[in-house]
Amino acid sequence: MSDEERSGADRRNFLKTSLLGTAAVASGIGGLFGRFNPSTGALEVSSARADTRLKMAFVQFQPHTVSTAWGKGIAEVLATQQIVDYDQLDGQAKLEVQVSLMDTLISQGVNVIFLQPVDSVGVAPSIAKAKRAGIAVITLNIDATEPHAAHVEMNHYFGAMDIAKAMGDAMGGKGKVAILNAPPGIIIRDQRTNGFTDGLKKYHPDIQVVSDQVADWDRKKAQDVLTTVLAANPDITGVYGVNDSMALGAMDVAKDKGLKLVIFGNDGEKAALEAIEAGDMTGTQYTDVFQQGRLAAAVATVLASGGVSAKAFASQGHLLMPYIIATKDTVGQIQPSQRW
Amino acid sequence: MHVRRATIALIVFFALTISLFSLVAPRFATTSNMENLMGGFSFIAILAMGEAFPILTRGIDLSIGAIVALVGMVVFDLSLIFHVPGYVILAVALAVGALAGALNGLLIVGLRLQPFIATLATLATYRGVVYAISGRQLVPGLTTTPIADPWITGLETYFDIGGALGTDDFLPLPWFPLSFFVMLAMLAVLSVFLLRTKVGRDIYAVGGNAEAARLAGINTGRIILLAYALSGLCAAVAALLLVARLTTATEALGFGMELSAIAAAVIGGVSLSGGVGSVFGPALGAFLLGAVLLGLTLLGISQYVQQIITGLILLAAVGYDRFLLIRRQRRLAANVA
Amino acid sequence: MTPRLSGTGLSKIYGNLLALRDADIRVMPGEVRALIGSNGAGKSTLVKVLTGAITPTSGTVEIDGERAPLGDTREMIRRGVACIYQHANLAPSMSVLDNIFLGRQPTRRLGFVDTKRQRREAEELLQRHAIELDLDAAVGDLPTVKQKEVEIMKALALDARVILMDEPTGWLASSEVAKLHNTIQALKARGLGIIYISHVLDEIFAVCDTLTIMRDGAVIAESAVAETDRPRVVQLMVGERLARESAQAALQKRHPRGTGETRLSARNLSKKGVFEDITLDLYAGEILCITGLIGSKRTELVRTLFGSDRFDAGTLEVDGHAVSFAAPRGAIAKGIGFVPEDRHRDGLMLDMTVTENLAMATLDSYRRGVLLNRSKIAGAGEKAIKSLSIQPPEGARPVKLLSGGNQQKVLVGKWLSRAPRILILDEPTVGVDVGAKAEIYRILRHEREIGAAVLIVSSDIEEVMTIADRIAVMVSGRIVAVHDADAVSRDEIIREIGGALQ
Repeated sequence: MSDEERSGADRRNFLKTSLLGTAAVASGIGGLFGRFNPSTGALEVSSARADTRLKMAFVQFQPHTVSTAWGKGIAEVLATQQIVDYDQLDGQAKLEVQVSLMDTLISQGVNVIFLQPVDSVGVAPSIAKAKRAGIAVITLNIDATEPHAAHVEMNHYFGAMDIAKAMGDAMGGKGKVAILNAPPGIIIRDQRTNGFTDGLKKYHPDIQVVSDQVADWDRKKAQDVLTTVLAANPDITGVYGVNDSMALGAMDVAKDKGLKLVIFGNDGEKAALEAIEAGDMTGTQYTDVFQQGRLAAAVATVLASGGVSAKAFASQGHLLMPYIIATKDTVGQIQPSQRW
Repeated sequence: MHVRRATIALIVFFALTISLFSLVAPRFATTSNMENLMGGFSFIAILAMGEAFPILTRGIDLSIGAIVALVGMVVFDLSLIFHVPGYVILAVALAVGALAGALNGLLIVGLRLQPFIATLATLATYRGVVYAISGRQLVPGLTTTPIADPWITGLETYFDIGGALGTDDFLPLPWFPLSFFVMLAMLAVLSVFLLRTKVGRDIYAVGGNAEAARLAGINTGRIILLAYALSGLCAAVAALLLVARLTTATEALGFGMELSAIAAAVIGGVSLSGGVGSVFGPALGAFLLGAVLLGLTLLGISQYVQQIITGLILLAAVGYDRFLLIRRQRRLAANVA
Repeated sequence: MTPRLSGTGLSKIYGNLLALRDADIRVMPGEVRALIGSNGAGKSTLVKVLTGAITPTSGTVEIDGERAPLGDTREMIRRGVACIYQHANLAPSMSVLDNIFLGRQPTRRLGFVDTKRQRREAEELLQRHAIELDLDAAVGDLPTVKQKEVEIMKALALDARVILMDEPTGWLASSEVAKLHNTIQALKARGLGIIYISHVLDEIFAVCDTLTIMRDGAVIAESAVAETDRPRVVQLMVGERLARESAQAALQKRHPRGTGETRLSARNLSKKGVFEDITLDLYAGEILCITGLIGSKRTELVRTLFGSDRFDAGTLEVDGHAVSFAAPRGAIAKGIGFVPEDRHRDGLMLDMTVTENLAMATLDSYRRGVLLNRSKIAGAGEKAIKSLSIQPPEGARPVKLLSGGNQQKVLVGKWLSRAPRILILDEPTVGVDVGAKAEIYRILRHEREIGAAVLIVSSDIEEVMTIADRIAVMVSGRIVAVHDADAVSRDEIIREIGGALQ
């Protein structure tokens, strides 16, 4: 992880949350920030508390490479505990389904709920209910308006700003870009779009955003949308896909038409990293999502094992994941085990 | 006759389901789980009751999920952007739902469109309108502002009846959500309307044999229009309860909810070929689906398996309906003097 | 005296088709007027104009001397015009009671149905007209006869001043026809005007006072029933040629037991609670009629022969081989064709074209690989339309637009295209006019001549006496007698049907 790539503000945020992070590390879960060896230190923790089994569940937004990788990271850490029953539930991208699942988990008496909210406000009453029942809620990537135990995210706003900077550099500081965007109503969309446009204003004011179209997070849809956009604006030289799937869709179109486009994605999934290595995509914002899951799980274990009470924190814990802007130059730093 | 027997079968099946889960699913027979069932599925029950009307007229309403989103967004905008008082919002919300439903009816009656096509078209249209009027898009910052108007949030209230009656010492009762009582009230009103009023009987007549109804002088167009307006109105009530529960509305609210409502209606014995059914059946059907989903989740069964099981229940309901029909015909053939 | 109902100069034009041409009709209080004519003569159009179901292109309708608005069913009902339609216009899933009061339930405040009053009125009505009906039964569960009674009740409950009856006896057994006629006499005595549409001349001469004859959309004759006779009426209705053919047909030679070759043989066939101990032989080259009252299980018997229902005991042989059909498919494979009673429900795809319906039973023979040879289907259809003289002779016309008689011809033709060895028909001429009837008889006789075994179920004694080579009488699920048609009189058969042999 290169520190130069991170903005100062980002670093401060990260430090602010180090309290929880330290607690997590202190709880004796070795290899938390590296590859995991399940046969080591973790066993000691589980044997100490084997009398009471803990229940934890992850309510995801909907099945996606990101949430799958989180789930893998979470399960990896929790498995070493041997006293945790873990479930991953599908919110089906529906707020009311998530709320109903939360209700069920609360009456089931789980100890920790990992939550990737469909909507920040909509889950607030459920989180309040969980808190009353003494359940720790840890949100992933999308925060909730109701304060809760912890929030673990990569910084979308500053990440997108950094993408704008790197993209502008690659474009030589001028030209026209198109955004392939998520459907409205999701916070990430706003954070990333705002970060990107603010970043362009700050670092490359001569670059113009000429199109901002919805492509439903989807590679195929992105191909169709970009083809139409290019027909109307043939002089576009840069494309920002608000996730990697849409950026990969843009890459397909560029290859097909033999265009030289600067294409940036977001998230850093395996396929995107490979495309960057092959020179088909310019870059993406990469976070080790496995690690993000492990970190959340570590926090959960600390809270559930009574090591640290969530109430001990005056305000909600906030853990920012480090990220890098992966381009052809930096993508080599990402180890195979860190690719999801 | 037919309706009654199917309803009894449904009640028995519901009771069996509840007993089974109480035995095998951990923490199913708890007051908090019953609260979840009532709080989480009363609005589905209301949607299903609404859906019963179009189906009774041999139609279908695919747009109710979109109407839920539309009404939800209207409430969101009025409350957070325009700061309209809550009682006005409630009235406007109901009117919007009924009008959106009536528009469906108008398309079906006026343009003689197939209900499936007409409501599929309005589904897309209403969803589009939701995005266009979305206060979350128009006014930045509102995405993280909850709706706090007491008229709206008051709909998500729980009543401690057990505590008030003092039964908690020997029989702990769950706290009853207001949405459950709203559902009960609508069930009572709509049942009486269907069974005891002339217009209600006309709905059955139109669904049973539209031509006979027309020749009997029934204004079939007006009845169909009314059926869809009622469906829209129920969707509006469901939307209000949902918004109260979530303290916000999203563009994607109610997505796919029409399918749950249709499933509940069919499981509740409303025949897709029109003219047969009640509103009690769909309401119970919704809670049956809810109990199954909650029970299976508590058992830790994967949600994909849950969907398969839900589908099988739906198939069984349709199959049972057919079975009753065929057996009735056989008996008749044997009995006719 | 003012007429109860009077229509003057009524015309209806559909596109370039003149369905109704300047027709006048009048019915006085206490008058029963017959409205007769071949199918397609314009009777149905005229009836629809009078009930307000369609708006005429020109003309006026007066009820009790008062000009009525046209094309408004509700207004017509309000002014006391009721109609019993040819095809049951009932909501099958609703109860008898609901159907009787369909669309005009007595209400109290706030639109609540006064269920008590509704039930009381219905019960009074049933009693007054001595009709037995379970008010709570779902209409769809009732047999056709009972459904007809519900229709009649519906009109009676209306307190109508004019009742139009469009072939009210279509599916009724003779005892029920008599009962209906008593009812009509009672209505007449109370000063109602009745327009009675029927193909059955017996009924018209029994119950009607006056008659109006239509042909090709126009009224061609009016007269008092007492001043005319059957041959004249038939001649007016169908024109000279058909009348002659029909008269000749009655004198045709009989062929009991045909060629002597047994095609179908039932021995002690039983189905518990339905029919019992049926022993019957059907020979190639003969027409065997099974007659009996409605409810005597004739339909159930022939459905079993066709494999539509199963039997419990006994044996069934086709061409000397024992068979037990699990489904009609098996019977069809043995060369059995079946024309069911209710052609709307069981026999025809009403929205499909004449050609498609004709080809339905034989699609396999038009296959070219997996695809169908459309031109061959059309060719065969054209030939069938010609030989059956289906009117209008257009293969591409949806069957629902044809008259009842022509629909029946399509249904029969559908099976003829397979050249059936055994042809079973259940009430083949119900609701069919005299002309079409004669043609259907001609078609069936032709099938007999080319060696088919024909089995007809019919309650129409005239029909049975006209066409049968042999007659089997069925009473309460048993065959009580089988006669050669030459050797038995009409009256004897009627006595046996009534149960004289039991």
